[in-house]
Amino acid sequence: MIANALTGVLLLAGLVFFAAGTAGLLRFPDVYSRLHALTKADNVGLGLVVLGLMFQASGPADILKLLLIWLLVLAAGTTAAHMVAQRTWTHGEFESDR
Amino acid sequence: MNGLLVLFDLVLLAGIVGVAWRCLASTDLFRAAVLFVTFGLLLALAWVRLEAPDIALAEAAIGAGITGALLLVTLERLRSIMAERRSGRPHTPPPDPTGPHALLRALHDPPPERRTFIPALTFALVVGALLVTTLWHQPPSMGLEPVVDAHMDASGVDHPVTAVLLNFRAYDTFLELAIVLIALLGAWSLGRHDLIPARPAPGPILPGTLRLLVPVAIVTGVYVLWAGSHAPGGAFQAGAILGAAGILLVLARPRQLPMAPGVPLRLGITAGVAVFLLVGLYGLAAGHGFLGYDRAWAYPLIILIEVAATLSIALTLVALFVAGRPAGDDA
Repeated sequence: MIANALTGVLLLAGLVFFAAGTAGLLRFPDVYSRLHALTKADNVGLGLVVLGLMFQASGPADILKLLLIWLLVLAAGTTAAHMVAQRTWTHGEFESDR
Repeated sequence: MNGLLVLFDLVLLAGIVGVAWRCLASTDLFRAAVLFVTFGLLLALAWVRLEAPDIALAEAAIGAGITGALLLVTLERLRSIMAERRSGRPHTPPPDPTGPHALLRALHDPPPERRTFIPALTFALVVGALLVTTLWHQPPSMGLEPVVDAHMDASGVDHPVTAVLLNFRAYDTFLELAIVLIALLGAWSLGRHDLIPARPAPGPILPGTLRLLVPVAIVTGVYVLWAGSHAPGGAFQAGAILGAAGILLVLARPRQLPMAPGVPLRLGITAGVAVFLLVGLYGLAAGHGFLGYDRAWAYPLIILIEVAATLSIALTLVALFVAGRPAGDDA
């Protein structure tokens, strides 16, 4: 009962962060501020979602798997954000063909 | 709760159709490629909802991941070819519409919409009507699930999907592996070896992350391969994960590609088809029919085929990404 309530609260809190990050991605004017909004908010949001799901896990193996998922997404997301920022810094904002 | 799931399914369906439409209607190729990846991820989610985790895994890894990477690298190559043509010959006459680069131009010129609209609509309506009538007249069927379940102990594995793919319908899987091989032969027969025009991001971040991620990807790939005998997983998914690790390595340092020597590379690429064929011929000789297994040997043979197929798929995907035969290998 308490676990379910905690899961609900944590998932909802995570979704708020995801929504904030997405709003930033859509509304902010340039690449850097969009990255700033997206990466930080989504990492915290996913962390909260993972934490919430941990209360539903059936054993320590599941908890560790969820933790691993979060850490891997953190590493991959950070690297991708760095590469986008680096590319923007050296080549300017992305230009479409048209 | 059920109502919420129905709502989720409807939103998912609308998302899939919407993204597919945006992808097809986009005149910007980069945007279309990114939308295609999005489409693949949504489709994987739909497979999860249909309780087909095997297909979901394959769709996410191959359909969204690897195909997306192939599309993006093709686009990058197209761009550099186009830029070369623009800067190299500034005063060329309008090129011959049937010339060698007609396909490239067709990709970039907007299609003549008015003229194609009526035929396209007619075609879509006819095909749609045929599909609907076919689905309408489907005889009621239990599917093949009971048949597969009844023969599971003869298959040598515990996972019905793997049993179908590598035992009951091994023929199909064999031909799929052959198609992957033929695709690579097609790419190699074009005979070019271009370095990938992508510019690696300078700095220690990408190599550092790869040192962390590639071992994890290898462990995951081997685990997915091993899991295939009793849970969702198998050669195609594992091969795609290992291939993705290889593509990341290639992308991190495209200027100094350590190309594998010719003979081992070729052996690895053909291993899946070769081992499958040999096992199939052995079954024929031993009296179980082509691609049939002795019941006691089914499990080790299936694992052997899956290991070889995983190796081949991973190598082929990386080779397709690099595209073209290895350099210094024009014999």
